[in-house]
Amino acid sequence: MAILEVKNIKKNFGKTEVLKDVSFKMEKGEVVSIIGSSGSGKTTLLRCINFLEKADKGQIVLNGEVIFDGEEHKKMSNEEIRKKQLNFGFVFQSFNLFPQYSALENVTLAPKLLAKEREDFKQNKAEIYREIEENAKRLLNSAGLGEKYDSYPCQLSGGQQQRVAICRALALNPEIMLFDEPTSALDPEITNEVLKVIKSLADDNMTMIIVTHEMAFARGVSDRVIFMDNGVIAEEGKPEEIFTNPKSKRLQEFLSNVRM
Amino acid sequence: MQLFTKVTMSLLEGLGTTLKIFSLTLIMALPLGLLISLGSMSKFKVIKYPVKTLIWIIRGTPLMLQLIVFGLGPGLLGIRGMNMFVAVIIAFVLNYACYFAEIFRGGIESIPKGQYEAGAVLGLTKTQVFFKVVLLQVIKRIIPPMGNEFLTLVKDTSLANTIMIYEITWNAKRMMNSEHILWPLFYSGVFYLALCGILTLIFNHLEKKLDYYKG
Repeated sequence: MAILEVKNIKKNFGKTEVLKDVSFKMEKGEVVSIIGSSGSGKTTLLRCINFLEKADKGQIVLNGEVIFDGEEHKKMSNEEIRKKQLNFGFVFQSFNLFPQYSALENVTLAPKLLAKEREDFKQNKAEIYREIEENAKRLLNSAGLGEKYDSYPCQLSGGQQQRVAICRALALNPEIMLFDEPTSALDPEITNEVLKVIKSLADDNMTMIIVTHEMAFARGVSDRVIFMDNGVIAEEGKPEEIFTNPKSKRLQEFLSNVRM
Repeated sequence: MQLFTKVTMSLLEGLGTTLKIFSLTLIMALPLGLLISLGSMSKFKVIKYPVKTLIWIIRGTPLMLQLIVFGLGPGLLGIRGMNMFVAVIIAFVLNYACYFAEIFRGGIESIPKGQYEAGAVLGLTKTQVFFKVVLLQVIKRIIPPMGNEFLTLVKDTSLANTIMIYEITWNAKRMMNSEHILWPLFYSGVFYLALCGILTLIFNHLEKKLDYYKG
């Protein structure tokens, strides 16, 4: 069974049709990259999957359960949306770390707040917090940030901030990680340190959707690549097919422009 | 020397009233200001526009005029026994709440959307996002303009003398008239300077305390 099914998603901003009927499926452990020019709708698609934007029409199905239906989303309470968002980890282009918290606190904040909803929270508070902190440190260590626990975002480079942001999302054990152009705000030199972290997640069989402009990376890390153009999926396939043998004219144009 | 002591005692007495106006205004205008700012950002037009109109009227007319309206207005309408001090507090609270509201609004609206979104995707409730993520950032951003308002308030308390509240300036003027001397007026300035000096130090300290992070 597919872990995620996106069915006939449509989204308008005012009169502009940003997504015109987008559908795709992905399996557990699969890494899907979404490429395409700016304004093709790839970021909006990613944001619709975890409800940062509400699609006008269509369905999102997670593990066979419809978690979003464009016809019915108005009935969904904030609380329901909040719970469902937790199935996904989301990494932003602009990191969006919380500036007043240290790297470690950024990673532990949400797990600690969520732990308060646990029934055994009162009895085991110290134990739960200790586990959360150990887990956060383990994540930061594996992202090469072992010495940056107490640094504030303003003291970290862009690449380090983005790695903290990835750890922050992972700390909630999401089923699927969503990356929205995770390296677009970074120097080319720093880009690699972030890509390495994402690559290591792929090696650990994390299910991921990555919106990116890094073609070489998309080719190297993905099981499948989706090319979006003008609000639709114009072409999709294995990275080899997409990059060496593009079928549609639009993709050929896009790739030749990017390569220059 | 005796005269100096006499003037000092009189101004100290006025200082008590001045501090009373200052602190009562802050205690009530800060929460009211937050409420007004939330109203002015409301999605509901029936709340938003009346609140915006109130802000416009209060910020668009002199505080002196508002003091007179609240101090003398009730009497003109035939309502007897309006306590002048209460009138002063109402006028100051309303006036300052409207200025605070605009500062709060500016602070809240200056927080990037990404902070709210980051909170949302991490499963925080709206309340948690406000108190755990946004609030401290807002406070950091509004400290400088708030410092301004606090200093202005110290000096604005002198306006209360127009409706016969015996604060520092009133007492200084009374001394000038009764003793036929000019210097109590300048002396009163020292009191305001000292108060503003203390506030400036407090605000500098707060700014330094929140200087550990940027953004």
